[in-house]
Amino acid sequence: MEIRQRIAVLVTTAFVAIAAIGGYATIMSRTNAGRVKGVTETVVPSALASADLVAQLKDVQLSTMNLVSAPDANLVAQIKEKLEADKHKLEAALAQQKQQADTDTQRGLVKQAEEGLHDYFAAVDETTQFKVSGQNEIAEANLFGTVAQYQTVLQQVIDTLRIEKTRSKDATIATLNSSLSATVTTLTAATVLSIVLLAAIGYFLYRQIVRPIGRMQAEMSEIATSQDFARRVPVERRDEIGRSIEAFNAMIAKIEENSAQLRQKTTDIQAILQNIPQGILTVVDGHRVHTEFSAHLPSILETSEIAGRNVMELVFGASTLGSDACSQVEATIASCIGEDAMNFDFNAHLLVGEVEFKLADNRTKILELNWSPIIDEHNTVVRLMLCLRDVTELRKLALEAGEQKRELEMIGEILAVSQEKFHEFIVGSLTFLDECQITLLRHADHDPEAVDLLFRNMHTIKGNARTYGLHHLTNIVHEAEQTYESLRQPRPDIAWDQDSLQAELHAVRRAVEHYARINEDSLGRRGPGRRGGTERYLLVDKVEILDTLHRLETVNTGNLHELVAARDAVRKTLRLLGTESLGSILSSVFDSLPGLATELGKAAPSVLVQDNGYVIRNQASGLLKNVFMHLIRNAMDHGLEAPGARLEAGKPEQGSINLSVGVHDGQLDITIADDGRGLALGRIRQIAEARGLIEADDVLDDESLAHLIFHPGFSTAEQVTSISGRGVGMDAVKGFVEREGGSIALRFTDDQPGAEFRHFVTLVRLPESYAVSIDADAHRAPRDNLHPLAPVA
Amino acid sequence: MAQVLVVDDSSTVRNEVCDFLKANGLTVTPAHDGKDGLDKLRADSAIKLIVSDVNMPNMDGLTMVEKIRGELKNSNVNIIMLTTENSPAMKERGKAAGVKGWIVKPFNGAAVISTFKKLVA
Repeated sequence: MEIRQRIAVLVTTAFVAIAAIGGYATIMSRTNAGRVKGVTETVVPSALASADLVAQLKDVQLSTMNLVSAPDANLVAQIKEKLEADKHKLEAALAQQKQQADTDTQRGLVKQAEEGLHDYFAAVDETTQFKVSGQNEIAEANLFGTVAQYQTVLQQVIDTLRIEKTRSKDATIATLNSSLSATVTTLTAATVLSIVLLAAIGYFLYRQIVRPIGRMQAEMSEIATSQDFARRVPVERRDEIGRSIEAFNAMIAKIEENSAQLRQKTTDIQAILQNIPQGILTVVDGHRVHTEFSAHLPSILETSEIAGRNVMELVFGASTLGSDACSQVEATIASCIGEDAMNFDFNAHLLVGEVEFKLADNRTKILELNWSPIIDEHNTVVRLMLCLRDVTELRKLALEAGEQKRELEMIGEILAVSQEKFHEFIVGSLTFLDECQITLLRHADHDPEAVDLLFRNMHTIKGNARTYGLHHLTNIVHEAEQTYESLRQPRPDIAWDQDSLQAELHAVRRAVEHYARINEDSLGRRGPGRRGGTERYLLVDKVEILDTLHRLETVNTGNLHELVAARDAVRKTLRLLGTESLGSILSSVFDSLPGLATELGKAAPSVLVQDNGYVIRNQASGLLKNVFMHLIRNAMDHGLEAPGARLEAGKPEQGSINLSVGVHDGQLDITIADDGRGLALGRIRQIAEARGLIEADDVLDDESLAHLIFHPGFSTAEQVTSISGRGVGMDAVKGFVEREGGSIALRFTDDQPGAEFRHFVTLVRLPESYAVSIDADAHRAPRDNLHPLAPVA
Repeated sequence: MAQVLVVDDSSTVRNEVCDFLKANGLTVTPAHDGKDGLDKLRADSAIKLIVSDVNMPNMDGLTMVEKIRGELKNSNVNIIMLTTENSPAMKERGKAAGVKGWIVKPFNGAAVISTFKKLVA
């Protein structure tokens, strides 16, 4: 049954009970009031009145007796009046009794009493008559006879009536009392019963309502505090409370579902944050890092102290980002958080995307930064999300890829140039650079001529590089050229700084050597071309061809001599096509000697070239230029002494350098010698020991010692004073020569083994095919211009 | 009658911003400090957008904005501040004065032009 129904029942029952009890009480009290009224107003007076009857009868009797015994007539008359009065009283009283008789018994008695009274009065009247008439004795006799008889009877009846009335009265009173007490009892019982009933109903209702509600409230509080949304309040009834509980349970089920979903989402996000191989953090107001960040972040930043820190200090504090850029980032972050999303669009470009991050042990990482705004429903930026990615490896790979791309481009550029031309370019450029180096080192201060040379050489290299389309070279060469150009100005705005100029020059050299290396290693192209090329191809000067043709055209065909001469001349020309004399090949080198001498503080040497009837093919020009520039400069630098020393040694101030060309054993031999102090074997030994090339107690003969100068990195100079002093000279020269299928060797010309200085010549040998004899017939016999000395190397 | 009022004490910045906006089809009026900005705004009712520096002599940008909203009772014109740095106090003051946005210098036209065009429409 529904609670409301039960409440209705309770209320109705209460109402009914109260109404019933009240009604009953009212009725009963009115009834009883009536009854009491009846008793007090009727029954009791009547009963009392009936007792009066006896007294009144006695009065009548007494009056009668008095009458009878009255001596005189006045008295008799008086007493007769009183007697009449008493009679009336008695009669009235009896009449009243008649009126008040309420039972048959009483009515019967009253009737009897009336009859008796009638008889008695008759007797009394008779007696009175007798007395009045003077018949006293008859009156007396009547009195004690009839009257007394009737009086006795009447008295008995009246008595009986009185008793009856009294009994009736008592009975009535008893009835009334019992009725009253019955009422009280009933009311009490009814009240008690009602109380009990209502209490019972109330109690049951209480149990049904309050206890479940109390339990419900207790359970709800517990669920709320324990957050255990899997619990339900038990439903035990189908009434309103039951339905409320069901509704509550449904709500809890919903909450449980939602919080399960939320937990799932949080777990998913947590899983992502824990596993994503990216550093993710969010920045909140005040540049602070939020407590939730991805698990990978500490390994990127290599610290666990992240939450709550200032993002500027955490990410950029250890970075190489400049202070102005940092302040821009800081201002940008401040301008975005808590502001409209528009502000992020305005300023996002100032949020750096990459930063170099320094770690404790001097390692660096490159971190890629990705910024996104987290926006709420009001389009306000609530936080900034920052994703960090370690791209160090990526950048390295990109760099390598970039380098490989550059290499490929360079290969493309090199392949577009013929092997020979490229080789010549390299050799020529290196030569120019060597020259620049020497010039640079010999001038600690600004010198116009030196600058001029630097500029010219660099300009030439640049021009050549451009011609051959070697783009990865032209830039760096151009920059160096521009440096020299600005130094050439009457008032240059940069200073002559040997170190930085040196560094710049070195950079250009490195670039050229890079090309050379690619050419040789990656492309396998060594030297000016295939060895066979020297036999098959010639570099031909157009002018010579034209001259030859002209000769043929103008010859007088009728003249045999002329024809033969022309033929010989043409043959010679053809043979000599694409050749040059050594002197001609090395002319540029010879031209630079005076300047070099001045720098070295020595006299310009005289150079003598003995061609011995040979010219050399153009293919070897580049090589020879490069090789002999080194060798001649070495001679100038190390071999030839200062004028003073020379004079002391009894030599002319001017030193001399001799070159000689010959062909032996299928080889083109070019010898170079100078009249200087000779090879400084002692010094060579010292240096070799210092460089760890030999041990202090190693025993070497002079030839082996001399050979050490071909070792890479070997240098006999105290400081880097020349290209030769830099220690790359001889091994490079050896390399150049050997690449062409040749060899280089030192040969002692004196007979003093173990001396500090020994005279020597340097012998450069190349395949015979490079040599062409000017006069074809003149060289059939073996040449013996040169001592066939045993080679050193 | 111009759409945009550009207020900055640096002529370099002023010219850069004005030139850029003009090249993108907007009409501009320059001003060299807060007071000048107020005068120019009073004189031209067509101005819908103000781009203003913060640190200027005579009257700084935020004071100018407060006067625009207060004395001039102009709450329609959109105001964007150009700034080199931003502090919470500055942001609060700006928010209270009804500043719509903040651009951190250097001014990057491409990032802002589409929003500017919307603001003057």
